[in-house]
Amino acid sequence: MTDSTVRTAFAPWDRRALPGLFTVEETARRVGNYRWAEMRLFEVLGGWVATVPELDVKMVLGRHCYHHAWHAELWTKRLPELREMNVDRMTVPANSAFEKFMDAIREPEAPGQTIEKLVGVYRVLIPRTIAAYTYHRNGTSEITDSPTIRSLNHALQDEYADWTEGEMLIQSLLDSAEKVERAMQRQTELEALILEAGGIAGPDSIGSQPANNGATV
Amino acid sequence: MKKHLPEAELARDTRFRRNKIEDQIFDPRNALMGTRNLGPAAMNYDRPAATERSRSLMHGIFVGEIQALEGAGRTCFDFDETEAPFALKLDMARQCWDESRHCEISVKLSDHMGTDIGEYGESTFLYAAACNTDPVMRLCGVNRALEGLAIDVFSSMKTFGESSGDPILTFCEDWMLADEVTHVKMGSDWLRRLTADDPERRERALDFQRTVDKVFSLGGFRGEQEENPIQITRKFRSLAGFSVEECDELAETAKQAMEEARAMIEMAQAATAAAS
Repeated sequence: MTDSTVRTAFAPWDRRALPGLFTVEETARRVGNYRWAEMRLFEVLGGWVATVPELDVKMVLGRHCYHHAWHAELWTKRLPELREMNVDRMTVPANSAFEKFMDAIREPEAPGQTIEKLVGVYRVLIPRTIAAYTYHRNGTSEITDSPTIRSLNHALQDEYADWTEGEMLIQSLLDSAEKVERAMQRQTELEALILEAGGIAGPDSIGSQPANNGATV
Repeated sequence: MKKHLPEAELARDTRFRRNKIEDQIFDPRNALMGTRNLGPAAMNYDRPAATERSRSLMHGIFVGEIQALEGAGRTCFDFDETEAPFALKLDMARQCWDESRHCEISVKLSDHMGTDIGEYGESTFLYAAACNTDPVMRLCGVNRALEGLAIDVFSSMKTFGESSGDPILTFCEDWMLADEVTHVKMGSDWLRRLTADDPERRERALDFQRTVDKVFSLGGFRGEQEENPIQITRKFRSLAGFSVEECDELAETAKQAMEEARAMIEMAQAATAAAS
């Protein structure tokens, strides 16, 4: 008679693999960059609430402000688990170009600049955040770094929903060719800045293509 | 974007009408109204003006929620982490979400009660208390004084909903009341933490809170006597970190405010009688 309690450690459907792209140190660096970006984002969303006249936008910004503060809290808790006990030391922008980009994102203040505010966040910053988080989640070790994956998944769930909501607000505000032009101009300016920064975690935010561009099986 | 956005720059759409305090004080109709003013009156559902008063109060709650949302949002932005630690700003961000929800609830409730946005004026007292440059003062003025007032208001509105047989109003006020207890507790906790080594700063903040409390007890609007429309809710205030002594002090402030209001009404009536 066989002992039915003797089973393989990994069930047949559990295909998680051990290797990952990131060391503990590199993971802490990225997480510190994420925390910095999420903090600057929740602060400005909170600050903008009083400056936008559109009631629906005001309420959405208030809600999203907390989402990003909570993401920052997730990263606050993760950093000490990555041997980085001084959370503030690692909470830095990926590079000076990214800091400049975030300053530009946070710059609009006037009540007539709702389009500029929303385009910066929902058409430039959040798509870049989703890209960096997705690359990290897909590339890190599914076993050794599963706590980071769990936090990334929680954050991504918010990011997708907020991205959709923000984009719909923008579309509803773009009711003339002049406003479409304003939105495009704002996006172009910010894309130039984020291009220089390389993304929210710097030039390797979403990895890089091999030099020979060779196909792999 | 600059730090510390002044009250005058709050952004609103064209439906909103801002009341200036000086316009209210110097309104020429005040003298006539003073002759008819009999002082505070409980908001009982069977009084002729109950519908109008509850709708007006609901609109006041709505604009108060917008300003509370704006104030909490500004606290996230206005201070760096040396002035306000991340955990405090995280609480303020959470409050932003709660206040956003309260705005949503208030819009739906106003519609339910037959009120349009902008039907009544907006005073920006609440946001003014959120403009203080010291985060501890903001917490005392907004989270302890004004959110404390919100506890009293929601509790009274919940009672009004129950007595008038309005389950929607009762349900919504009960949920908002739960959030307000959380917000006041945040204020109480942060006041203790941020001033643990600075009793003078704590006393200044509590003084600011007393001033705000007095303003919002004006004319017997709030108190513990039957005729006060808004009742001080000791049970929920104790859950939010208020001591018995603090509740006693607030009740005394409210009582004084009501007596002052009565004296002013008597003076106005005497002056009107003398002039006629």
